[in-house]
Amino acid sequence: MTWTGVVRVAATGLVLFGLVRFGLTSSARAQESLATDIKAAYLYKFAPFVVWPGPPPAADAPFAVCVVGADPFGSVLDRAVAGQKVGARPIIVRRLAAAARDMPCQIAFLAGGRGQGVKDELAALHGAPVLTVTDGGAAAGVVDFAIAQGRVRFRIDDETAAEDGLTISSKLLSLAVSVRPRKTSGATP
Amino acid sequence: MGSGRGRGFFSPRRLCAIAAGVVISGLAGAACGQDQPTGPAAANGGAGPSRVEDLRDLSIDQLAQIQVTSVAKSPEPLSDAPAAIYVITHDDIIRSGAISLPEILRLAPNLDVVQTSASSYIITARGFSGDATAQNFTNKLLVLIDGRSVYTPLYSGVYWDVQDVPPEDIERIEVISGPGATLWGANAVNGVINIITRPSSQTQGGLIDVAGGSLGTSVGVQYGGRIGDDLSYRVYAKSFTEYHTVTASGARADDAWSKPQGGFRLDWTPTAVDSVTFQGDAYSGEEAQAGEPDQYISGGDIETRWTHAWQDGSSLQVQAYYDQTDRGTPEGNGHFTLDTYDLDVQDSFAPDARNELVFGGGLRFSRYSIAGAAALLFAPPSRWLDLSNAFVQDTFSVTPTLKLIAGLKLEDDPYSGLSVLPDLRLSWKPIDQALLWAAVSRAIRSPTPFDRDVVEKIGPIVYLIGGPDFQPETLTAYESGARVQVTPRLSFSISGYYNAYDDLKTIEPAPSGFIPLRWGNMMRGDTYGFEAWGEYRVTPWWRLVASFDDLEKRLSFKPGASGLLGVAQAGDDPEHQASLKSSMDLPHNITLDADLRYVSALPDPALPAYVELNSRIGWNINDHVQLSLSGFNLLHAHHLEFPASEANAVPRSVLAELRLRF
Repeated sequence: MTWTGVVRVAATGLVLFGLVRFGLTSSARAQESLATDIKAAYLYKFAPFVVWPGPPPAADAPFAVCVVGADPFGSVLDRAVAGQKVGARPIIVRRLAAAARDMPCQIAFLAGGRGQGVKDELAALHGAPVLTVTDGGAAAGVVDFAIAQGRVRFRIDDETAAEDGLTISSKLLSLAVSVRPRKTSGATP
Repeated sequence: MGSGRGRGFFSPRRLCAIAAGVVISGLAGAACGQDQPTGPAAANGGAGPSRVEDLRDLSIDQLAQIQVTSVAKSPEPLSDAPAAIYVITHDDIIRSGAISLPEILRLAPNLDVVQTSASSYIITARGFSGDATAQNFTNKLLVLIDGRSVYTPLYSGVYWDVQDVPPEDIERIEVISGPGATLWGANAVNGVINIITRPSSQTQGGLIDVAGGSLGTSVGVQYGGRIGDDLSYRVYAKSFTEYHTVTASGARADDAWSKPQGGFRLDWTPTAVDSVTFQGDAYSGEEAQAGEPDQYISGGDIETRWTHAWQDGSSLQVQAYYDQTDRGTPEGNGHFTLDTYDLDVQDSFAPDARNELVFGGGLRFSRYSIAGAAALLFAPPSRWLDLSNAFVQDTFSVTPTLKLIAGLKLEDDPYSGLSVLPDLRLSWKPIDQALLWAAVSRAIRSPTPFDRDVVEKIGPIVYLIGGPDFQPETLTAYESGARVQVTPRLSFSISGYYNAYDDLKTIEPAPSGFIPLRWGNMMRGDTYGFEAWGEYRVTPWWRLVASFDDLEKRLSFKPGASGLLGVAQAGDDPEHQASLKSSMDLPHNITLDADLRYVSALPDPALPAYVELNSRIGWNINDHVQLSLSGFNLLHAHHLEFPASEANAVPRSVLAELRLRF
């Protein structure tokens, strides 16, 4: 190829780039629904990789997945957990308006509500034995969903998990796109 | 070159074969001497796991692998891609027991994988295996490893012996049958193979992988770690030795080979919206060649990629790589070196609610340097090949369920200049569980140094030169297909095509007299057929995948063509292929997989149909230790996958593998 060829094609590219990149407005994508379904499916699947503090619960005690604040899942979450178990424990979904330290939840998706933002919900649950899950906002829970390379993945804050008394298995840590390691010695990432 | 028992490109016997073939046998006979021959995923079947009930059955690893937006050129879920696409997942790869890329590619029902020696393979989609003795090579498939093109610009084929990725590190392989020229560029004529490796954050910890069996041994060591919150890495080293295959009569074929390889990948996420990847590999190997000095292969690559997510969810990707590869035989039988520098930019953008644009461009500079053998040389012996392109594609939502995708690529190649490669696709998703699509597209196989600059001699006589007027081989393809999730357990995909080819490569006499012969574009014709595959989850622990391909080919010479070597030189392709795979998760962490495949007879040169079976039993003793035993081609002591004039036979083999994680 000649250099004129390079110039010709490069110029075409620049014009195309200019046309589309500037002067036009953007819009949201319609990929939300699949991503939301995947997040719903993730929620209870975190359970086998987490050890909660305290004595082991009764073998058939319900395992509670909670949504705190404005529920983004609707019936999807109920369908996702339908018939599923954590060990022998049946999974139940609870929807709560606000977070409280003693709420009966093992896993809590913090969506933020009118009274409490995600940050307030996190503050309310700090130190509580609840696996907090957030959706990529400014305030991140122990697990924070993120879109990475076109997939729904998550970041893990293992330091906060340690403060909450939770132990997260290395398998789950290895799936995370990034990990904030725990400072205390003990479990190895 | 790309095929035929691993012989070097410059093998003098190959020249003899063609010389004899084109009936200059008086000369060829003296020079020739003796002839050669002594010597199982959810995303595939249907519209994908779009319902939460389907997601429920997936493991957390599988959830993490679902594309909600395709990484590459198209910003939509893979399950919505309006093309004949099959995805080989990481899990499929591990469960197949295969440890080399070509063997892994046997998992794609829309490919034809043919082993011709211990180290060489012919891999095609929709036919055109070529004919090495006619110097008509397998050259209509584009292969990318993490966006790095690995077909050689020398003749547009792929040297499969130097393409390797540790199976553990492969995230998935997207196999698209049908043209992808608009997005991927020239050479994506009959298909695109897109090999995508795992980010290093997903391959943390140590792994020792030791395998040994009747056909070879392999050792791999890998370690992945983190530096701070934002940076993860892995390094690997592996080495394997593959023992010889056998001749058609079962005698030992002298084609054993070995290759050590090492590499790394580093992933850095400096901000929430930026990610940067550095990766590289290096290899060096040796291949025995019957009656000739060993061929050596060596090379490496280094690549960097920056991805930036815009606020609206679209993304910008900038990628650059350098790839270097050497191949040759000592003692004056020739060698060549190829250096490639490549830069690609791609961006996506939604100007309004109904349009989604993907656009970009790329520059590639390759320098080849060839020390030819006396009988085969290139004029000039070294040269820069400059390739540039720009493309744009718009996805227009006519209605919420109907999309029109229009794309255009302009590509400037060093020999034929500017090519226009358009593509038009229609995608209709009447319900969530079904996708119907249709497409019309144009693709070319652009000229290469082998088509234009080659000079072949017998003694002092030049009997073949590259055609100064050799033009691109062209394809206009008409395709349509459907992907349907019939029930949560049953899904299928079917794709039909009608391909109209023109200007296919032929051998023509000199304008005055007969020699030197030269390449021409005097063949045309069409192919049509379909590829179908389906998946049935019999129980949560048992999955069946079945496939069937049909390919009909009608080629003819154009008026005035020499007709030398016949239309069979374009390829010796099976009309049908079928496969049945079974994947079982048994108690005690035992997995059992079996893969039965049928390939129909080859027409010319003729070869009978064959049926073969691969099987693997794996035992995950615990998180740290995994044992497996695989058997390949179990039904026959050995079988031919290509005519004996061009291939050795593939023996039955077993392989035991131990993986230790720490």
